[in-house]
Amino acid sequence: MGTLNRCLRSGRVMVGLGMILIVLVCALFAPFLAPSDPNEQDLLSILLPPAWMAGGDSAFPLGTDSLGRDELSRLIYGARTAMTVAVVASLGAMAIGSILAHLAGYFGGVVDWIIGRVVDVWMSFPPVILSLILMVGLGTGLDKVILAIILVDWTRFCRVLRSEVLVVRQRDYVAAARLIGFSHWRTITREVFPATLPLLITLVSLEMGIAVVVEAILSFVGLGVGANQPAWGQMIADARQHIYDSAGGLFFPILAIFLAVTGFNLLGDGLRRTLDVRLINAREQ
Amino acid sequence: MVATLLQLLARRLVVSIPILLLVCALLFAILRVLPVDIAAMSMPPTATIAEIEAKRREMGLDQPLPQQFLIWLEDAAHGRFGRSIQLRRDAGSLVADTLPATIELAVAAMVIATVLGLGGGLLLFHVRGTKLEIVGEVASTVLLSIPEFLWALFLLFIFGVALHLLPFTGRLPPEFVRPNVTGFLLLDTFLVWRPDMFWAAVKHMILPACALGLAFSPAIMRVLRSSLLDVYQEDFIAQLRLRGLSEGRILIGHALKNAILPTLTLMGVQFGFLFSGTLLVEVIYSYPGMGNLMVDAVRNADLPIIQAVGLTYCIVVLLITIVVDCLYLVLNPKLRAR
Repeated sequence: MGTLNRCLRSGRVMVGLGMILIVLVCALFAPFLAPSDPNEQDLLSILLPPAWMAGGDSAFPLGTDSLGRDELSRLIYGARTAMTVAVVASLGAMAIGSILAHLAGYFGGVVDWIIGRVVDVWMSFPPVILSLILMVGLGTGLDKVILAIILVDWTRFCRVLRSEVLVVRQRDYVAAARLIGFSHWRTITREVFPATLPLLITLVSLEMGIAVVVEAILSFVGLGVGANQPAWGQMIADARQHIYDSAGGLFFPILAIFLAVTGFNLLGDGLRRTLDVRLINAREQ
Repeated sequence: MVATLLQLLARRLVVSIPILLLVCALLFAILRVLPVDIAAMSMPPTATIAEIEAKRREMGLDQPLPQQFLIWLEDAAHGRFGRSIQLRRDAGSLVADTLPATIELAVAAMVIATVLGLGGGLLLFHVRGTKLEIVGEVASTVLLSIPEFLWALFLLFIFGVALHLLPFTGRLPPEFVRPNVTGFLLLDTFLVWRPDMFWAAVKHMILPACALGLAFSPAIMRVLRSSLLDVYQEDFIAQLRLRGLSEGRILIGHALKNAILPTLTLMGVQFGFLFSGTLLVEVIYSYPGMGNLMVDAVRNADLPIIQAVGLTYCIVVLLITIVVDCLYLVLNPKLRAR
């Protein structure tokens, strides 16, 4: 219970969680929160400013885009896209990355060498370039975006976790587990994995922030989730094209991305500080 | 010294070759699984099936895959990536035309990132142990989480749209005719001695370069701060104090020298990411560099350009890490001795 208490008392964790919660509520309850259909076009009222500004319409609280779609509704539904990608993609990247990291770190030798070289080559591709090229091959769509992020970002988990596994493997209780006859599988899942879990949780939180950005980037470039699924990146791209008529259209999606990304990063940073045993010991001494 | 440097350079270049080959293989593999017919795409729509077949044979597409990879590799080594399907120009020359603009942007951003990173790191270190420390830490966490994509949009929104202070589209206002001497615009406007045009180009560069610089400086700040903290734990700092040196001289003359090395290692990694980060910033600011070329090509599945640009990005990023490694050697007396 000590860990949970420490998390609850950490300012970073709570502020980060609060920010994510706002986005998450929008994502989960989008149909109830959004004032209108995010894809409904009203070509008579395009590029309207927010309702409180001159020329605004109270039917469109945050204004409309170049096709007369309601910005607020698109923003709320965009949260759905962003959170789906964040959760599924980072869990996917985590699964691949951490399995390979445990294999490499635990068995060492040839396995470690091969996995290490694959990671090296993978990482010599700049992530933006690799994800763009992958999207050319995969085509657009929510599932494709998720797959591209998994294929690009599993290396982040693999590299960091591998060195953690190397440390944990040296501990006496791991040797003891082997001595009393635990199989390799059981040693990894019961003894090594729980020790790397705090780091894993931190990395997942940081990766969710990255996934939100990558999804926004791909949608911005026009290779994201596809035209009829609202996404923050698309809203920014639309506003960038009509920049002189629609400053609000630029501002709100930027704010939304900022909120989500900062939230995940604060949470990750806070978790790192509260879950890292070494940091805690250093502080208590 | 020079010999050690050359040795390191040679060793790093040799190690890079297999990595580069594998990167090529990966690039080739990803683009070969695409459901597009390269031969048909490079022919006019009126071409007959027989003509397309002939083209396919000419391009070596009827050979087995490993054979195709070798052909592709040989062409790539000579800069032959084929003609752009959409722009009807040689992809290699398109890259050569746009690369200088991207390099200019990246270098400007690296200077900004270095100045901000080192300055910010010193500032964070300076406020250690005071009430401002927590402010600095939270601020650097938040800054660290903002990617170049968001910085570019923030700056565009604030300084371009809201305040009308700086231009945010392209590299020059339309009334200027771009001089072409070296391909590097800032250098060219200087060489043909057009201060007005030089200034216009600089103004167009400020927002994109700052966006990149701001995104990549927080990590430098943090590493400099923590390595300074490490250095100050060492005995020689206390000894310098006993000798009566001022805190300023200890920091600049002694501590910084030792703390800069881990910072430099990180900067190498950061600058690699920074170079690929130019892509998004270019797209946001309609800056005519390699990034815009790449994104246009990706939208149109223009394979020759995608391959040429993708490979160029990888090579430049590899080169940056090698250069930084060499710099590390020059600055690190421990490695120099060996």
